[in-house]
Amino acid sequence: MIQIFLIFWLISSLLIIIDKQLIHLIIHLGIFSMVSAVCFFMLAAPDVAMAEAVVSVFTTIVFIVCFEKYYSLVDILVVPDKKAKFFRHLVPIGFTILLIALFFMFIPDVPASTYLKEMYISMFQQDIGGENAVTAIYLGYRVYDTLFEALMLLVSIAAIIHLSWHEKKLDIVDRTESGIGNYNIASATIRVIVPLIVMFSFYLIVNGHISAGGGFQGGALIAVLFICRYIIYHIHDMNIDRIIILEKLVFVLIAIVAIYFIFLGAGSWLSLPQGVYLMVMNLLVGIKIACGFLVMFYRFMVYERR
Amino acid sequence: MSNIGIVEIFAVIVFFISFYGLITSKNIIKSIASIGIMEIAVIMFFLGIGFFDGMKPPIGPNLENVADPLPQALVITTIIIGITVCAVNLSMLITLCRQLKAADWDIVEKKSSE
Repeated sequence: MIQIFLIFWLISSLLIIIDKQLIHLIIHLGIFSMVSAVCFFMLAAPDVAMAEAVVSVFTTIVFIVCFEKYYSLVDILVVPDKKAKFFRHLVPIGFTILLIALFFMFIPDVPASTYLKEMYISMFQQDIGGENAVTAIYLGYRVYDTLFEALMLLVSIAAIIHLSWHEKKLDIVDRTESGIGNYNIASATIRVIVPLIVMFSFYLIVNGHISAGGGFQGGALIAVLFICRYIIYHIHDMNIDRIIILEKLVFVLIAIVAIYFIFLGAGSWLSLPQGVYLMVMNLLVGIKIACGFLVMFYRFMVYERR
Repeated sequence: MSNIGIVEIFAVIVFFISFYGLITSKNIIKSIASIGIMEIAVIMFFLGIGFFDGMKPPIGPNLENVADPLPQALVITTIIIGITVCAVNLSMLITLCRQLKAADWDIVEKKSSE
């Protein structure tokens, strides 16, 4: 069954590379993300599949804004060169095939060591708590990964703000361009969907330690909620500076909670029930991711489009 | 070669397809998209290492015959990092478009050397 989807995956990645029409890239990227999410689900990784499906929303938005800018700013030149076409493609294809052959020739012929897998699966319910091994690993055994991922998100948001800096103050409601709120079908559909999104995102965050989901997926879904609000009403009354300050505060809180519970063992001397730590961390990570994605979205959609 | 499954083979092929796109594409947007594909191929390889036929997700009270949870926990952060890297790249590209009015590698090199 998974072979069929892997072939689809291969074809969609080929389409992205081969297609000459640049604007088709958005649709091909969407297909590629969807097929890869299905493949992740079939590889027994529902957490990863959910994260990929949520994140592809942001990929699409970012690429759409970039294409809008590209076609309005760049004067596109069409330079036909048909003389060296064959040789221009022959050398890179040969080089790529050589690299694939080298990879399969020198790959080590030893099965991957799985002693960590047995240890984690047998120990995580006493050590960390919860029933989801993936959440227990990235919030417990490998909490450094999550901490530095949060720091990385903070740094890249700072980079985006620095690179697309606009001094001009914006109006709260932008009446110059009519939003999607004027179209009845789209706005009515989004109004029906929004309560479901709220419920589902909080379900994912609160139930992250006993079922598939967690802070990353739920936080990205909360950001999707605010994107829906912007698409309906065209209001951007969010104060971006305050969101950034909230993000930094939550990052400090994540570090403090992780240090107290993992390195100092606060769960045992406070005699808290197991799962409280995972729930608190999932909530904090969700707020952090939601703030980061919101700043990214507003930077691209509101500031960069003007 | 005996321990490599079909998922890993497909992941390696897609990785090198995106490598081909990265070295041959004339447009910067396509290069950035190729980097995104490359990342997803690496994620697929990691997930394929810990998976064999008939395995279940590592979630639930009885954990028998489950997939390896360690690569999954590692790649969840990678997915979030991937979108932010993509966004930083594209915002740099938009700044470049504003200044040089070009997004092709050849034209950008020509204009920036002037």
